[in-house]
Amino acid sequence: MDPFLTSRIVSDILGGLTNGVIYGLVALSLVLVWRSTGILNFAQGAMPMIATYLGMVVFAHRLGYWPLVIVSIVAGFAVGGVTERVLVRHLYGKPEINPIVVMVGFLIVLEGVAAAIWSTTPRGIPNPFSPIDWQLGGKPIALSPFSVYEIVTALVVMIGVAVLFRFTKLGLQLRASALAPEVSRLLGVRVSRMLTLGWILSTGVGTICTVLVASNFFTGLTPQVMDGIFAFGFIAAAVGGLDSPVGAIVAGVSMGIVLQFVGDFVNSNAIIITALIILIVSLMVRPNGLFTKSTARRV
Amino acid sequence: MERLVARRRLVLATGLIAAAVVIALLVSSNARHAVALIVAIAVAIVGVTTLAIRGFRQAHPVLSRATLTIVVLDAALFATYFFSSITNFNLAIGAAMSITLLGLSFLTGASGQISLGNSAFMGVGALAVAIWANHHTSTPMAVTLLIAVACGTLVGLLLGLPATRLRGPYLAGMTLAFAVAFTAIVNSFTSWTGGDAGLQLPTAVTPPHWLTSFFNAQTSILRVNTMWLADITIVVTAVAFFFMANLFASRTGRAMRLVRDNEVAAELVGVSLPRARVIAFMVSSAYAALGGALWTLINNSVQPPTFSLALSITILSLVVIGGIGTISGALIGGVIYAYSNNVISWFTQHTGINPQSNLASQLPGIVFGGLLIVTMLFAPMGIAGAAHRLRGRRRVHSPE
Repeated sequence: MDPFLTSRIVSDILGGLTNGVIYGLVALSLVLVWRSTGILNFAQGAMPMIATYLGMVVFAHRLGYWPLVIVSIVAGFAVGGVTERVLVRHLYGKPEINPIVVMVGFLIVLEGVAAAIWSTTPRGIPNPFSPIDWQLGGKPIALSPFSVYEIVTALVVMIGVAVLFRFTKLGLQLRASALAPEVSRLLGVRVSRMLTLGWILSTGVGTICTVLVASNFFTGLTPQVMDGIFAFGFIAAAVGGLDSPVGAIVAGVSMGIVLQFVGDFVNSNAIIITALIILIVSLMVRPNGLFTKSTARRV
Repeated sequence: MERLVARRRLVLATGLIAAAVVIALLVSSNARHAVALIVAIAVAIVGVTTLAIRGFRQAHPVLSRATLTIVVLDAALFATYFFSSITNFNLAIGAAMSITLLGLSFLTGASGQISLGNSAFMGVGALAVAIWANHHTSTPMAVTLLIAVACGTLVGLLLGLPATRLRGPYLAGMTLAFAVAFTAIVNSFTSWTGGDAGLQLPTAVTPPHWLTSFFNAQTSILRVNTMWLADITIVVTAVAFFFMANLFASRTGRAMRLVRDNEVAAELVGVSLPRARVIAFMVSSAYAALGGALWTLINNSVQPPTFSLALSITILSLVVIGGIGTISGALIGGVIYAYSNNVISWFTQHTGINPQSNLASQLPGIVFGGLLIVTMLFAPMGIAGAAHRLRGRRRVHSPE
């Protein structure tokens, strides 16, 4: 009936929103780690991937969808915590290329191990939401029960993280230990625990994101499922500013929409190229991201 | 006293060369072989004698580097004559790879930046060679290689401009995005690049007649061809390494190391940070492009999907394992790359892992990733750094 809701432009916006919240979640998880420990986690796609396999595939025959999601998230917390305690702990205070190299190594080890155990064949994850778009007057709206589920979950997670950081004592401690570790320690904050908690939170957010991506009927779960999405998530985080959770989410969502238009009106090859151009231009204009206060570094 | 030692060395060298002439004449079946053998041995002896002169390295650093390059080149070219075609092929691939490694090693070691896009820069060079060779069949090979290097440098400049203002993690992420985008870029210009299927060289690189006539009629063409390819690659590699060794020691190289160690100090003594960063990035991408260009020559074709993010990560692993910022580290990395598949398949055979299993196919990634982590945590300067430290320790224990 209403041609507006099924028009090409509205479809692109809705489709872009669905992708955008995913990029926003990845960007948010990158920002959480960056803010707490100053490390850009290149394994931010692979760690949640392992957690999702652990949750979704190992128990797939015994539990329903929602318990599996819970198990995956718990596995995500565990993967994040263990990684910080065992691997990342040795990297604080080292030259900034050391953590990059180690996390890149961790990325390919995790992907290799996952592929060795579970093979590279995509695994569908049955879930209660239909991937088929709703119809309106015989034409599809670019919105399905599944994409609504994606968007709502992402929003809940984003709001949850915001509430945690802004309104709880724990959030205050997390922020304090990221900003001024020495002072926080003197004031009785257990800084080392807070760093671990930052990684746990970040991997948890990443796992929710990966579960959403893997539940998508059209993608499924593969060891490299997050590779491309990580690239977009990183671009969103860098454009928004690695220091700014709000910037990461806003950049992620708007990038999703812009890229959907590019994909629709140009072609699919242009998507990643446009993203790369956005990244380069925005880094040249504002090297620290659009949403962070610029700090002088030159002497 | 000094002069006496020098004269004694001269006599020794002349004697050795004379002996070599006699042996060569006895061993060789024809005059050409004898001449080649004599030249090879003479170059090696003269080179080593020159390098052994006390104080020569300090007094003429460039000359001594050139001599060292020539000696190694001489030995390597001589060795390719005896190698099987498989060994020569591996050698060529390893040498081409080591050029790429040297580029990244310079970027990271000299300026403290990191790039995950070097596979894409390799791809730029590899495609540039194939595209140019298909459109201008008559261009000499050396010119085509230079064009590929120029393309790599240009793309490096384009991506390096934002790099002037970026710190490590941002640059690594940006280059990662470039590596991921590379296939899409290639597929946007299918009529030029041939898309995912890639391009074939119009004519394979073949050895000249004087070289073919070196072998007797029973030697297979394949062996002669791969030897020639290995020789070309080794010569180009030697030139690239010689140039880089000088760059490391030059004013520019010192300025970059200062930028890496202390940005503030570098600015205070008048080093321009953006300029140093862009130059480092461009040199690194030029070297990657040269490596990729040789890769196309060796394989006689180019498939863009080869130059994926996975290859970039392999490149990074090899540089780290070999030793960041060292010349020898890049060579070690090249050798590891050339033989990694052999070693891993040997390992799967002897441990009884099913070669068709998932584990076997994922083993390279797991091994490289594991080595990357272990090296970075326990020996950040890689094999070359560890060897250097061991040598230093020995010197302490045995005072001369």
